[in-house]
Amino acid sequence: MAELAFYCLAAVTLLSALGVVLFRNALHSALSLGLCLAGVAGVFASLSADFLFASQILIYVGGVAVLILFVVLLSGRASELRMRQVNGQWLAALLVCAVLLQGMLRTIAAYRDVVAGQGGAPTTQNLARLLLGDQALPFELISLILLAALAGAVIFSKPDPAPEETKHGCLL
Amino acid sequence: MSQPEAAPKPAPAKPAPAKYPDPVYNTQNGRLLMRDTRYWPTDLWKNPWALPSYRKAAVLLAALLLGAAAIATGVGELSRWGDLLKQTLDGFLDGKGFPTLVGAGVWTLIKVLIVLHIVIISPIFLVWWERKISAHIQTRLGPMNVGGWHGWAQTIADGIKLLLKEDVTPTVADRWVHRLAPVVVTAPAILAFAPVTFGQDLSAADIDVGALYIFAVAGISVIGIVMAGWASGNKYSLLGGLRSAAQLVSYELPRSFSIVPVLMFAGSLNLTRIVQAQAGYWGGIVPRWFIFYPVVGQLAFTIFLIASVAETNRIPFDIPEAESELVGGFHTEYSGMKFSLFFLAEYAYVLLASFLAATFFLGGGAPPLPVLGFIPSWAWFLTKALAVVFCFLWFRWTFPRFRVDRLMDFNWKFLLPWSFANIAFAGLYLLW
Repeated sequence: MAELAFYCLAAVTLLSALGVVLFRNALHSALSLGLCLAGVAGVFASLSADFLFASQILIYVGGVAVLILFVVLLSGRASELRMRQVNGQWLAALLVCAVLLQGMLRTIAAYRDVVAGQGGAPTTQNLARLLLGDQALPFELISLILLAALAGAVIFSKPDPAPEETKHGCLL
Repeated sequence: MSQPEAAPKPAPAKPAPAKYPDPVYNTQNGRLLMRDTRYWPTDLWKNPWALPSYRKAAVLLAALLLGAAAIATGVGELSRWGDLLKQTLDGFLDGKGFPTLVGAGVWTLIKVLIVLHIVIISPIFLVWWERKISAHIQTRLGPMNVGGWHGWAQTIADGIKLLLKEDVTPTVADRWVHRLAPVVVTAPAILAFAPVTFGQDLSAADIDVGALYIFAVAGISVIGIVMAGWASGNKYSLLGGLRSAAQLVSYELPRSFSIVPVLMFAGSLNLTRIVQAQAGYWGGIVPRWFIFYPVVGQLAFTIFLIASVAETNRIPFDIPEAESELVGGFHTEYSGMKFSLFFLAEYAYVLLASFLAATFFLGGGAPPLPVLGFIPSWAWFLTKALAVVFCFLWFRWTFPRFRVDRLMDFNWKFLLPWSFANIAFAGLYLLW
């Protein structure tokens, strides 16, 4: 039963990932990305990683996918959203993909015999013990780096002082 | 020159005490047109009890509440009946020689159907209640005719009307996205009800990351709203979709962070455990609900309530719909059942927010006084949730709409910092 769910969800993930690349309309690609991320969350759930499942949906489907949709909506009229599928860099892209695929295959090979717990115990408490206990220092360091990135993004995206009439203009 | 002495003015005559007008009848057929409704709260505010119908209504309301409490007490804990049903089902299936998987499947199906119908049927009541409350806030009567008693069947009639309406898709619309959008909005609203604990041992799926799951799944609906806004091929809808994406993603943050103190106190994401952590009474009187934790509890509850109103796109946060400036926002181009799916999702989220407020802050199914423990937990839970729903409806009909930039300022510069500060307060509380 869990295996069936896993394979169905994996198929959904892969097909929607293909859709992200193949749809001609940028908004359809963005929606497909949302479905793909939700499929990944489903794969987590079928491997009984409950906390990862919920946070994947919360952050990627509810946050990142929505932000990407937002960008696509702001980026112009519907007719301008259709882009070419292929440009001159396709060979380089293919090579990069091949290298990445090789790397992933090697990583998978190292964990080939590991079987995920089926319908196992909830993972939240163990995760919390690890993150706030043994791994507290790396956890805090990553938080610090993220905070620095956040502050940096705010500083770089801060516009020059705008003239008075546009200062109070509001697009939304 | 001396003023001629004015004749002493007679004391101003007291206005005659208001007499209730005689009933008005239709001269043609003699039907009663108006009984005593010409004097409505604004006239009678000083002494509403003088109105016979007011006294009658108060007695009726008290009788209804007492009757409901009596019925609830008679029924007892629903989880007991659920166990009985499960035993009967298992016995029946074992007798027929089915494998245990079938029993589990049927039982899951029953639970799914119950939760589904809670979501689908509750708007029938909530819409009627909302119309009545809005009417009484605006000194109107609201629906009075359909069904006889105070227009109770009005929403059912409206639902049938919506079912029969023509389903229009604009020619410029992106057909598939337009068609899928209501589904993407509604499906997460139903999914999010799975871990809600309706009372003692009453939840469809008692999952360990329940609170996180609810917030995560409820967040998916934003995508549906953006899809609806974009696929309609209409600038007002697009603006509505954009505003909605910005607003919902923003208000999700203080909403999630406001319950972090609750999670810290309870030490779990599981809704059942959160309810258990609120059991008991201080000094035998004040319940140990999280809303009664000094400062932290009230602050968290206020932020949660405000952010929940914003998450459900309701006035005063209905900028994505804003019918007076955006025609109707993201659902302008929807009609019939597709429109009503958006409506269903809105009411489902109102209900979900109320259930969550009752679970996180009002002690779930715990009675407010130990003496009242004889009324079962699901009745208390429902009472608390409906009280929060009433707040939602009340806000909608008393506050004016926010301006867009103020809406965002309010979230990012007020709610979010205070929800962070509240987490710090909760940490201090726990350390101390």
